[in-house]
Amino acid sequence: MEDKNVLLTGLGKQLVLNSLTDASVQKATEDTPDFAILPWVNVVKIGGQSIMDRGRSAVYPLVKEIVDNLPRHKMILGTGAGTRARHIYSLAIDLGLPTGVLTVLGTAVAWQNAQMLHYLLAQYGIPFVEPEGFSTLPHYLLERGAVVCQGMPPYKLWEPNPVAGRIPPQRTDTGCFLIAEVFGARKMIYVKDEDGLYAADPKKHPSSEYIPRISVEELLTRDLEDLIVERAVLEFLARARNIREIQFVNGLKPGQLTAALEGEPVGTIIYRNGDAE
Amino acid sequence: MSFDHSKSQHVTSSLMRESLVDKNVIARTEAPVSSILPDVNVIQIGGHSIMDRGRSALLPLLEEIVANQAKHRMIIGVGAGIRSRHIFSVGLDLGLPTGALAALSAKDSAQNAYMVSCLLAKHGFVYLEAPFVVQLLPAMLAAARGAVFNGIPPYSLWEHPPLVGKLPPHGSDAGSYMVGEVFGARSVIFIKDVDGLYAADPKTDPEAEFIQQARAQEIIDRKLRTLPIEPVVLDLLTRAKLARSIRLINGLTPGNLTRALNGESIGTLIQQ
Repeated sequence: MEDKNVLLTGLGKQLVLNSLTDASVQKATEDTPDFAILPWVNVVKIGGQSIMDRGRSAVYPLVKEIVDNLPRHKMILGTGAGTRARHIYSLAIDLGLPTGVLTVLGTAVAWQNAQMLHYLLAQYGIPFVEPEGFSTLPHYLLERGAVVCQGMPPYKLWEPNPVAGRIPPQRTDTGCFLIAEVFGARKMIYVKDEDGLYAADPKKHPSSEYIPRISVEELLTRDLEDLIVERAVLEFLARARNIREIQFVNGLKPGQLTAALEGEPVGTIIYRNGDAE
Repeated sequence: MSFDHSKSQHVTSSLMRESLVDKNVIARTEAPVSSILPDVNVIQIGGHSIMDRGRSALLPLLEEIVANQAKHRMIIGVGAGIRSRHIFSVGLDLGLPTGALAALSAKDSAQNAYMVSCLLAKHGFVYLEAPFVVQLLPAMLAAARGAVFNGIPPYSLWEHPPLVGKLPPHGSDAGSYMVGEVFGARSVIFIKDVDGLYAADPKTDPEAEFIQQARAQEIIDRKLRTLPIEPVVLDLLTRAKLARSIRLINGLTPGNLTRALNGESIGTLIQQ
């Protein structure tokens, strides 16, 4: 078999001849180069419960800020789910339905929020793109500067079970992070309703410690009861190859998204150790 | 994090205003799960181990599936195989990320699944893409006599970054297992070209110890260098709610699948 494989690289021969579960084969893929597919794009996640559920008072100023930034920054705008997802998760858990079904249901809520954001941005030529249409993103981003998508990863019934309970562990924070990672994006910015990360939920504990900058390794070690972001995002950031930091800004404060897009250290930055100090 | 109730529009629910990241809230969602299709068996046909061997391996296996059709409802996941290894090689050389490799590889298993569905078509099996598995599988099983699906899950660009290297961690073993788990299938059977799980690769080490039965966590803890199934399946098994065991059998030995479907102890049984 080896003689016929003259076109394959050394790694290629290992892949063809050995088991893909072989630890040495996996290790050998570690040293391959990384190509960034859309190095100039910014992935911006708009919170469901934190922004969209607030309606006009929160969404309109944010839409204006997004439009103002279109000439300077290209954006993939992903949406979260929010209170309707919480309702249907409660109902579906009560009905005895599995996690994969909860993902199908929750995806519909993120989709609704993405549609609403898309309606508000449609007059600027900004399309809504389903996961199946992602190969058209480069065109829309170069022509119009932004696209809207729903933040849930398209796992549907194939969502893995969580370690505890029944709520899908990989939701819209994770879906947006994975978009940023696979495209080698310039920035991953989460727009929520807090100034960033606190040691405890600031809405329940107003005096809790504010954390403007922390490594993902330290944050995982601290094992906080509550977090500003899904835990899966932290696990994936720790082993990501393209994304080196993620930023959290307060979408209720005008100018914070713009500052983050300009590279200013507003809100909280969670970074991968040994990279950005 | 949780939610400032003063300025917002809520729907009342037990999770209203709660942070879904809060560990205490997550723990509260532990409750019994019901099985959606409790009499279905998920059969996974290996890509490299069975499909790449062609007629000599596949046709006897499909005959055995048809022979069992009257007694057992089956949905068949199919893996990718050698073409995916080739495109991984080219894609890695080009510097493509894990999510791109996952999107590319899923087409190889789709081809294999489509071929299997053509070979079983006259016996009433249909081929279902992921969106149709979500919407139509129960109806198709009621009307048709079986279904074939792409074993690789529809993660595509959203595939998880692996712990080591760049290969997509969720292949067709993971996808087929997750179909069994979400529908609460009667059994999940992986058809390979080895008798089951060994402590080392039996193709290179004929003396390797055969493991007839083990718990998923025990196998993870042994840190074996190579496994006949994707390691992520073991992680998924530790979190199972419904599909709490899987069986690995040798599809090159006639009768093994029938015995596995009848609940006999054949191959390797991996339990939660």
